[in-house]
Amino acid sequence: MSDELLSLLDRIVADAEGQEGVEAYAVDQTETTVKAYGGEVEALSSARTRGVGVRVVVGGRVGYAYTADLSESTLKATLRAARENASVSTPDEANVLPAGGALEDLAELYDPAFEVSTPADKVALALELEAAARAAGPPIRGIDTARYGDAVTVAAIASTAGVRGSYRRCDAYVLVEALAEADGSTSSAYGLDIARLPQGLDIEGAAREATERAARLVGGRKPSSRRIPVLLDPFATASYLGVLAEGLSAEAVQRGRSLFAGKVGERLAGEHVTLIDDGRLLEGPAAAPWDGEGVLTGRTPLISSGVLAGFLHNSYTAAKDGVASTGNAHRGGYKSPPGLSPTNLFLEPGEDDQEALLARAGEAFYCQQILGAHSGANPISGDFSVGAAGLMVRDGALAEPVREATIAGTIPEMLDGLVAVGSDLRFLPFGGGMGGVTLLIEGMTLGGE
Amino acid sequence: MASAGHVLDDETVRAALSAALATGGEFAEIYAETRSGRSLRLDDGKIEELVSGTDLGAGIRVLRGGQTAYAYTNVLARDALIEAAGVAAAAVSGMSRVELADLRTVTAARLHPARRDPLTVGGEYLVGVVRQAEEAARSTSGDVRQVSVSYADARQGVFIANSEGHRSVEDRVRTRLSVQVVAARDGVVQTGYEAPGAAKGLELLDDHPPQAVGRVAAERAVLMLDSEPAPAGEFPVILAAGSGGVLFHEACGHGMEADIVAKGASVYAGRRGERIGSQLLTGVDDATDPGAWGSFGLDDEGTPAQRTVLFQAGVCTDYLSDRLRAAELGIPRTGNGRRESYAHLPIPRMTNSYILPGQDDPEEMVRGIKRGIYCDALGGGQVDPASGDFVFGVAQARMIEDGELTRPIRGANLVGDGPGVISRIEAVGTDFDTRQGICGKDGQGVPAGLGNPTLLIGRITVGGTGE
Repeated sequence: MSDELLSLLDRIVADAEGQEGVEAYAVDQTETTVKAYGGEVEALSSARTRGVGVRVVVGGRVGYAYTADLSESTLKATLRAARENASVSTPDEANVLPAGGALEDLAELYDPAFEVSTPADKVALALELEAAARAAGPPIRGIDTARYGDAVTVAAIASTAGVRGSYRRCDAYVLVEALAEADGSTSSAYGLDIARLPQGLDIEGAAREATERAARLVGGRKPSSRRIPVLLDPFATASYLGVLAEGLSAEAVQRGRSLFAGKVGERLAGEHVTLIDDGRLLEGPAAAPWDGEGVLTGRTPLISSGVLAGFLHNSYTAAKDGVASTGNAHRGGYKSPPGLSPTNLFLEPGEDDQEALLARAGEAFYCQQILGAHSGANPISGDFSVGAAGLMVRDGALAEPVREATIAGTIPEMLDGLVAVGSDLRFLPFGGGMGGVTLLIEGMTLGGE
Repeated sequence: MASAGHVLDDETVRAALSAALATGGEFAEIYAETRSGRSLRLDDGKIEELVSGTDLGAGIRVLRGGQTAYAYTNVLARDALIEAAGVAAAAVSGMSRVELADLRTVTAARLHPARRDPLTVGGEYLVGVVRQAEEAARSTSGDVRQVSVSYADARQGVFIANSEGHRSVEDRVRTRLSVQVVAARDGVVQTGYEAPGAAKGLELLDDHPPQAVGRVAAERAVLMLDSEPAPAGEFPVILAAGSGGVLFHEACGHGMEADIVAKGASVYAGRRGERIGSQLLTGVDDATDPGAWGSFGLDDEGTPAQRTVLFQAGVCTDYLSDRLRAAELGIPRTGNGRRESYAHLPIPRMTNSYILPGQDDPEEMVRGIKRGIYCDALGGGQVDPASGDFVFGVAQARMIEDGELTRPIRGANLVGDGPGVISRIEAVGTDFDTRQGICGKDGQGVPAGLGNPTLLIGRITVGGTGE
């Protein structure tokens, strides 16, 4: 499969004219999804899709075109379209194709044992997930979503700058959403697990996560407004990291859209806070041998012992700043030119598990769910004001549930007030791979009545 | 551009549908599409890359009882379709032997044709469009620091055929212009956004001249420079015309979607005929609004578009259904079966969700409030359909003090629950305006139109950091 793709890309690259740089990128993906409901398979879907995207860079101008039709004539037309598209762009000398050579794959991303799983096995996993969640009993009164999914993805790249390689990865996940109800009050929560292989998924664990989290939110009330320590649970932390990541992109910095611009070397948080992006970390869902333009992935410290260490780069932002790309060029598929995004982004775990953090907080708000992070958090101004659901913490233990609450502060305040990072790190497949971990933040405004 | 309908001849369709039904399926369908699109972005004075391309593919769906099997491929050739049909069929087993009905062409009562085909203009023309928007934004104020402008068009050719003999072809064109402005003064940084879109061609730019779009986005950003942190607590809130549609969409519309209702995951489940909202509230989903962002002729299962009343004078009326959920709940098909692309199963989705205008004078509403919040623009929102709980960022707002609009406020969030907020609608304006968004559900994004008149909500919890 990958040799075939590579030779197809080679033919596109060979059609480069004059001084132009041509980069061709292909994805070929086979996916299966099974949804279970009420003890039965509700839907099963399987698919194969593939396509090619072509980037042309000439005289600092860049253009992009894509196609899902891989016939020889359409591929040639796609290169021509990319060339035409380049003609209207503004020249910028930072538009360069990264130089490279033959790219190694990351063999651990694909496990041949993946092929052992039959469609029937996958159906069984979805049914088992739904049954396990349903078995939880009151106050769980239904399972909204119980889904198994997997994909085998082959990515390939070739360019006139010498980059050439392909890799294959397999991924499986289960996702379940449980509904809980008591006395007319309803709540819901997700549970999930990701693994390289279907047989590696923790089905019981995902079901338990959804049901326990939904059950404990039932009967939540609005809290009274006040300033209070906040514990972000691993899911909420993943949302928060997503907001931080936006501000830590060199693209945002160069465009004047980051509150972190010009602050490299400044202290943002305590010594115990280290934030890392690691595109080669195998347990992270975003692991890959190279990024969306064929640059090798690596480990990039963004905050080192509390000090802002740097930003995430692709080859464009790196050329602008005269630094090396951190291998964070991201592709949303063959239809997207390379963008810039985090890979596996995480805070280095601390010593305390969640229980110890609860004890340490004493009286706090435990935020289980952040609502509206994409609208309420602003990586330019630093404002952070989001909806929240969770539980009050009293005497170091989870107490009554809270809903229709807001938590508000600013991104710098939250970093500065980050008292402790938990030991419970686990990657969640949100926006790349976000390290879910419990955080204790000193003081935020809890909004309610 | 050839639409997908030209690709699939009757013989191929019949062969694929037969293969799909071979294992006892009760219903089979082919959804094929081609989608060609362009997008162009201007950022910080620079024309970033122009992207163009064509995507195509087909999905084959087999239904049996409550079960769905689906297979899709992006190779639109006879062999690939028949293979996909076989894959879908393999996931079903039953005794039924359904005869294929003769194919007959179904046409929509109302289409939304593009008057000016976007593909008649080249990249240079589009560069002119985004430049005009940029220049207008920059000339609005010296505080404007950054301007990004995006233009996108898409032409989607949809072909649908099913075992009941339905065959249809629809050509859909959508065009959108977005402007985002960053303004800064004395260390305060704020953003403003405006992004009209329509199921139209380049005539979108006649209705929304690029200069006007750029100016509005810039004015929003600059106004917010004088903002103070929003207070936290409960307040009466006025939602300006156009700004509150997203709240109705998220907090009420989603709970009226029949799949969520069928699973008992909606706060509106089992409540048809019950008065939930204020008597002043009438809300509809209207896929027939000419040229509107969420409009189409036939839905993505071939059911004709229609206007469905969700709340009539506050009474919960009709749910939004697709084929599967209409059958499951025993309700009519409302033409709300939508999908992001051939790679997705149709699910019940809103099209254009509107609160209809009422009798009240918008200015009068402000005069009656001692201390409250006037929202000019909401940001994105999120809702838990099970409880109806929602949260919305407020992109632009002002305080109302002693019946007057005063200082702008920032960082506010509206928090509440759908039934609660519609029960507290105390006035509905005579005006009306719309916005356009991409609604995400089950991993599928579809264009969704939003609209409302000026609304007064008696009280909503506001999250903020100020006094």
